[in-house]
Amino acid sequence: MTVTARHPAPASAPVPAAATAVGAAATAEARGLVVEQLSGSTDRRRRIRVPRSVARLSGVVVVLAVWQLAAVTGRLPRTFLGSPVDVARAAGHLIADGELPAAIGASLQRVGVGLVLGLAAGIVLALVSGLSRIGEDLVDAPVQMLRTVPFAGLVPLLIIWLGVGETPKIVLIALGVTFPVYINLSAGIRQVDPGLVEAGRTLGLSRLGLVRHVVAGAALPQLLVGVRIALGVSWLALVFAEQISATSGIGYLMTSAQELLQTDTIVVCLVVYALLGLLADLVVRVLERVLLPWRRSFTPDDVQGGTR
Amino acid sequence: MTTPTTSRPTGTTPTEALAVDVRALGRTFGTGDAATTVISDLDLAVPAGQFVALLGASGCGKSTLLRVLAGLDAGVTGDVTVARNRAVAFQAPRLLPWKKVWRNVVLGVPGATRETALAALREVRLEHRADAWPTTLSGGEAQRASLARALVRQPDLLLLDEPFGALDALTRLTAQELVRELWHAHRPAVVLVTHDVDEALLLADRVLVMAHGRIEHDVAVTGDREHGSAGYVEQRRRLLGWLGVHDGEGAA
Repeated sequence: MTVTARHPAPASAPVPAAATAVGAAATAEARGLVVEQLSGSTDRRRRIRVPRSVARLSGVVVVLAVWQLAAVTGRLPRTFLGSPVDVARAAGHLIADGELPAAIGASLQRVGVGLVLGLAAGIVLALVSGLSRIGEDLVDAPVQMLRTVPFAGLVPLLIIWLGVGETPKIVLIALGVTFPVYINLSAGIRQVDPGLVEAGRTLGLSRLGLVRHVVAGAALPQLLVGVRIALGVSWLALVFAEQISATSGIGYLMTSAQELLQTDTIVVCLVVYALLGLLADLVVRVLERVLLPWRRSFTPDDVQGGTR
Repeated sequence: MTTPTTSRPTGTTPTEALAVDVRALGRTFGTGDAATTVISDLDLAVPAGQFVALLGASGCGKSTLLRVLAGLDAGVTGDVTVARNRAVAFQAPRLLPWKKVWRNVVLGVPGATRETALAALREVRLEHRADAWPTTLSGGEAQRASLARALVRQPDLLLLDEPFGALDALTRLTAQELVRELWHAHRPAVVLVTHDVDEALLLADRVLVMAHGRIEHDVAVTGDREHGSAGYVEQRRRLLGWLGVHDGEGAA
């Protein structure tokens, strides 16, 4: 009985050492095996590389150019929307005469105070509801109900209760901030890995020790998510709050510009709102880096990957 | 009734210190028609310094018994007395990801310093990873950190819940070797829950086989532990038989 080889043997049995690689490739192709080179020198065509950051700006440049062109050719009246150059000029004036810095200062103060109060309220409520059964029964249902009320709709009531001064503005911002902080932190506390709590108990941690070492560590990332959302909401609340007969702040600047049909000033204010929002996001990112160093070790690319 | 204390129950011979003394233990989950009895009328005494392996098929109640001994299960009937100074290593290492390895090791130990942690980490050959975040450890390293965390408490009773179950075969051998070494050095009583007969024979003085919520077999491991030796093969065959594996050699 003859033994048949599984693979067809090369035609010339002894392959010279120098030609081994070529010979192997040749037999592979003869067998109909398709190979591809995954690394090593390839003669791919060279392309001109534009940095990604520059490439991503091109869309913005096109929009600005079209906008400016429309203004210059008279298709876009200044009372409808000022051109980018008008906006830049208005920004220059507003900064030079100190009006814009003062307005930003007034707005920042409102947001700051509202944020601190809202954060404190959200954290206290979440701790009460997350750490005790009675607290959860008492706090969670009312907060979940109130949460569904759009906070901007409270403006008329706030004016009746608190007048038109600073108080209703700050309370509105604080209210807007409280809910996302509460929702996220209480969820974070509830999602603590029971295995870790159990381990903590066998390590002899007291109830307070468990909260400090186990619950706090587990809930902190979720709290920061809440803070990030809260910062976004706080700017939104500020816009609503500053519609309540303000006499200072970015909102005031906008309302007075509206009366004079100064569309360029209004656009400047919108840009400022956007930049402040961006700044707030940056602050949270820095906070996350500082407060969650252990997460960096396994999610170095997640932040970038997630936003794509 | 079930609060673990170091006080001795009446009726024990005072000459022999017991790390575990369990009498008429029962544990039932659920109530009424849905009730399932996991442990019933179980007695167990483990003298100080003894290494006990607890074998049994899944669902036989061995992990429940370990949780009872750890003081994590309060809903039991019967008398449970265990050494107050005890430590647990779980199947998953259960390290806190937001604390560096050395802080995990000394968590909950009053007055412990970094030096205390380093000494324990040295014993499990993990000193070089003291400042690492737990998420960067390999499975074997994390399990060793978990052992260091148990050791640093200098326990009289060490409870191990399938601590090598999730490790690959090579890492498991090293870890088993380490546990044996540490037991020789510190001599705590050990209760090791496992479903691995070879592991039980390699490490333990005494093997318990659990079935139907009670300890069905209780044997001392005798003779040499050499893998191929006649005594080893005979003991292994007997244990596998009790576990319901009857064709001996082939099954693991």
